[in-house]
Amino acid sequence: MDIQWSFILTVIPTILKGIKVTLLISVLGIALGFVLGFLTGVARTGKNRILNRIAGIYVGIIRGTPLMVQALYIYFAIPTIFQFDLSTVAAGVIAIGLNSGAYISEVVRGAIQSIDPGQKEAGICLGLSKWQVATSIVYIQALKIMLPGLGNQFIISVKDTSLLTAIGVAEMTHQASRAVTTTFRTVETYTALAVVYLVLCSGMSYLLKKMERRMK
Amino acid sequence: MGKPLIAISHLSKSFGDLEVLKDISVDISEGEVISVIGPSGSGKSTFLRSINMLETPNHGTIVYDDEDITGEGYDARKLHREIGMVFQRFNLFPHKTVLQNITLAPTKLKMGTKKEINDEARKLLAKVGLESKADEMPHNLSGGQQQRVAIARALALKPRVLLFDEPTSALDPELVGEVLKVMRELAEEGMTMIVVTHEMGFAREVSNRVIFMEDGYIVEEGDPKDLFLNPRHPRTAEFLSSVL
Ligand SMILES: Nc1ncnc2c1ncn2[C@@H]1O[C@H](COP(=O)(O)OP(=O)(O)OP(=O)(O)O)[C@@H](O)[C@H]1O
Ligand SMILES: [Mg+2]
Repeated sequence: MDIQWSFILTVIPTILKGIKVTLLISVLGIALGFVLGFLTGVARTGKNRILNRIAGIYVGIIRGTPLMVQALYIYFAIPTIFQFDLSTVAAGVIAIGLNSGAYISEVVRGAIQSIDPGQKEAGICLGLSKWQVATSIVYIQALKIMLPGLGNQFIISVKDTSLLTAIGVAEMTHQASRAVTTTFRTVETYTALAVVYLVLCSGMSYLLKKMERRMK
Repeated sequence: MGKPLIAISHLSKSFGDLEVLKDISVDISEGEVISVIGPSGSGKSTFLRSINMLETPNHGTIVYDDEDITGEGYDARKLHREIGMVFQRFNLFPHKTVLQNITLAPTKLKMGTKKEINDEARKLLAKVGLESKADEMPHNLSGGQQQRVAIARALALKPRVLLFDEPTSALDPELVGEVLKVMRELAEEGMTMIVVTHEMGFAREVSNRVIFMEDGYIVEEGDPKDLFLNPRHPRTAEFLSSVL
């Protein structure tokens, strides 16, 4: 077998053509995920049974199906059912958003529920409104507890974008696979791809850890 | 004596099938210091928590300052501004400094300018002997100090009534005295207080009235000297002999 390790350097620029799409989908997807995750996480700790139930069903469906299937469903099935066009990038953002939202929902719910109920009672007994108790006592403390979980999910979502190659999103994994079809240099290309993801995710992990430490 | 400040009549409360308060009736006048004693699980906390609506009773009424607080549509926030609560486990806000713990509610409730609220908070800290701890975080304080901060926090709303739920039970024995001292001073200043306690010394010396609860009932109530010396009910006598 002829392996040209120097080809790794040659193919990296090709892979990096997809980094913009990878990052774009990661950032937009996780932003959507944050919104969904916070709303449903709060709903699941709240008293409103209907909202609580809806949020629970959403989390159950997402956690009970693979991301790849979710992406295929969003890109192929839903536009067919409702007769509209969806770009691969938009489908990717929605898939990452819905998916990360469910896991963030769990992080948010867990953090809120970990706050001693005595904190809420103390706030209520001081004449504060429900909103004041939530924002200046309960959620603010929960937020600190959530940070590691949120950072973790961000990195998971960046890695998950590689699955979107299945619906033809032109992200990094897709670029690598296309390079392989013309060069047949499987080992070099996928080594390069793995290295790029490793550097990207380790860098983010380092930055997130630093931020976390700063917040404490 | 005039009208009671708090009039509780035929109060009952169940958690599922478990009836925790049974036909509780008691009147409390302004300036009274009442100790509530009784074995574990007798409903003392639930009784106290019903008075400031942390628990909703199933039957009966509580009238506070001529208003039925158990009635439909009563705004509990109004009550919480007048009835303060001190918890067994302090429940200080761990993410705020000692001073901020005290100023949080007065600030949110717009009780004055920032300076007025801060000055008042420092005065309260001095009152509980902790003026030097204003900028500490609560977890750097001893249990006794934390509880004194919690009392100052409750006082910041200028309450008419203070409820204490076993305020010294979570403390190391050597720290109990400093908290009881603050409570004794409040009692001497005329604060209306309802104190669930295992401190029989406090019940006997500081309070004007002792309520003995067991199994969801008020078994006996009366002047502390009478109740401790000549309990009328055999269950009271039994309980007292087990704790004294
Ligand atoms: N939220 C709740 N849900 C279900 N049961 C409860 C709840 N709160 C209290 N109870 C039960 O009600 C009974 C009375 O509880 P309560 O806390 O009022 O007793 P207590 O006299 O304060 O006891 P202690 O001295 O141990 O604090 C207990 O059997 C307790 O288990
Ligand atoms: Mg209790």
